[in-house]
Amino acid sequence: MHLSRDEERVLAGEQGPGMQRAMELLVALGRIYDADRLIPITSAHLSGVSFKTIGDGGLDFLEDMSKDARVKVLTTLNPAGMDRSRWAEMGVEESFAQKQMAIINAYERMGVTANCTCTPYITGNSPKPGEAVAWAESSALSFVNSILGARTNREGGPGALAAAIIGKTPNYGLHLQENRRPTVVVEAEVLDEITDYSLLGHVVGQKLGAAVPYFKGIRPDSNGLKIMAAAMAASGSVAVFHVQGVTPNSLDQDLKGLERVHFDHVDVKKAKESLTTGKDPDLIAVGCPHLSQMEMKMLASMLDGKRPRSDSPEVWFCTSRTVRTWCPKETAALERFGKVVCDTCMIVAPIESRHRCTATNSAKACNYLPSLCSQKVVCGSYAELMERIA
Amino acid sequence: MMLHGRGISKGLVEGELLLLQQPFSFLGGVDPKSGLLSGSSGAEGQDITDKAFAFPWGKGSTVGSYTILQLRKEKRLPAAIINHRAETIVATGAVMADVPMVDRIDLSLLRNGDRVLVDGEKGTVDVLGVEGQSVVTSVLMNRGRVLVLKRSDKVSTCQRMWAGVSGYIEPGEEPRQTAVKEIIEETAINDAKLVREGPLLTIRQKNTIWVIHPFLFDSPTDQVTIDWEHTEYQWVLPSQTDQLVLVPGFKRLLGDLGI
Repeated sequence: MHLSRDEERVLAGEQGPGMQRAMELLVALGRIYDADRLIPITSAHLSGVSFKTIGDGGLDFLEDMSKDARVKVLTTLNPAGMDRSRWAEMGVEESFAQKQMAIINAYERMGVTANCTCTPYITGNSPKPGEAVAWAESSALSFVNSILGARTNREGGPGALAAAIIGKTPNYGLHLQENRRPTVVVEAEVLDEITDYSLLGHVVGQKLGAAVPYFKGIRPDSNGLKIMAAAMAASGSVAVFHVQGVTPNSLDQDLKGLERVHFDHVDVKKAKESLTTGKDPDLIAVGCPHLSQMEMKMLASMLDGKRPRSDSPEVWFCTSRTVRTWCPKETAALERFGKVVCDTCMIVAPIESRHRCTATNSAKACNYLPSLCSQKVVCGSYAELMERIA
Repeated sequence: MMLHGRGISKGLVEGELLLLQQPFSFLGGVDPKSGLLSGSSGAEGQDITDKAFAFPWGKGSTVGSYTILQLRKEKRLPAAIINHRAETIVATGAVMADVPMVDRIDLSLLRNGDRVLVDGEKGTVDVLGVEGQSVVTSVLMNRGRVLVLKRSDKVSTCQRMWAGVSGYIEPGEEPRQTAVKEIIEETAINDAKLVREGPLLTIRQKNTIWVIHPFLFDSPTDQVTIDWEHTEYQWVLPSQTDQLVLVPGFKRLLGDLGI
């Protein structure tokens, strides 16, 4: 990979150890993927926030970096292991909370906007079509690639942080047009329902792996796209996809000679059954990815005029702090039935200390809950889950 | 002998080699508190602390990068990492935790317990106490049959095994000159014609790494006069070589030469 004279100086440590380390990381990644050079980015989004995932080793690294490294572009942060103001209510231990706050503080010292959400594109970090960015968090980066039309690779947390500090990223992979073209046509027939889009995404990722799928026959709205992107990224590492007539440039793609596959409600039903491993949830959690304003409104209206069931398990509505602030009425309505939890979600919070079986409408969450949180899982639609509550 | 790969994470360090035959995930593959490998690594109970840790490539969760940082905190880091092919998770962890790392190394040339000097800047692995020997091996063909010779007890290596026409490349000699010279010495065939040259082949045998330059020659005759280096010879169909005890790597060399 070619480095400019200025970049060489950073690599030699002339701008301090934090920038040197960041440049070393970009150079290593650039070498591995045969990048020709570094290209400027306009924003970054970082994973590697929950103390549950990064541990003491990760915290030490971030505190070390935060001594002198600062981000050069708008940089946002993934969910943490707890709600910053309600962690005690969530059953989080104080020692965990202290480490978690230390991680967030280290990011903030580096100039990162600690919004702690996996949907930063809803609340202010919204790259424009064609812009190069460096995003971690598989669901968010797929949304940015596919729906916003910006360009990012599947960054890991440290790679995205390094790119934010340098303001550049190695030019390879999904920054190159040829790697963003569809590789398979998916003819889909499913209900226009959020959970069905999630399950469709799960099946497509599972069957096709790291493909670039081109969907025909569906017209999901932004909430359907958000949850479908998340499921596909989790089950199949899909980082970019197209939906005919919905995503940018979807009508300019050449589909000649591509393999065609078909998925319908039978596949969706089977996926739902296979993801369901439990029966009696002691936690119902929605908001993977974090709920949008529209979803908050929809859930509040579904519960309007109803009473909480006496046998309802604990309920979490996971969203970003910003969306919660935007939706005071809905928050009040939902809080009658459970907690509107911010900054975190059922995957990155240490729920395994208090819960055994979690119900959710997100196939991504269903995919990760058994391995990352030792949970049995019940997969259900919003309507089915709300029936257990009210 | 110095092996040349590609530098991924800087630093110069010497260590004892711990070699895994299969891809490795730091998350779940090693206990950060003790540095001991778990069952999923294929080398349960081995300690990676301060070792030159070699495995084909990294796999598994991206959390593996943080496991490497956790190893640093517990002072259980490997001294260096050597891969056949680097990927993001391990490379990221190595750079963050200051572990020298080199990739594009042929791990079949390494043995558990080797002392190695890893240079993450230059991208080299020096296998200490192991000599590199450059040799030629020529395969002669006559009407679809290949010439194999049985090595005598008087040669220094691979006695009584079947081989092609081989010899050390002397200082100042071009491999192709060596090949022609050895054919004349060992078979008395003076007019074999070079058909093609194969890609370099490296083979580890005890404390020697053989760097073999393979050549394919067409022989106009099947009349052979052997010298002291061999006790017998035969012209065989390529498929018949399976029935002979061959010198290491000979089968692969035939494949590389398109036979």
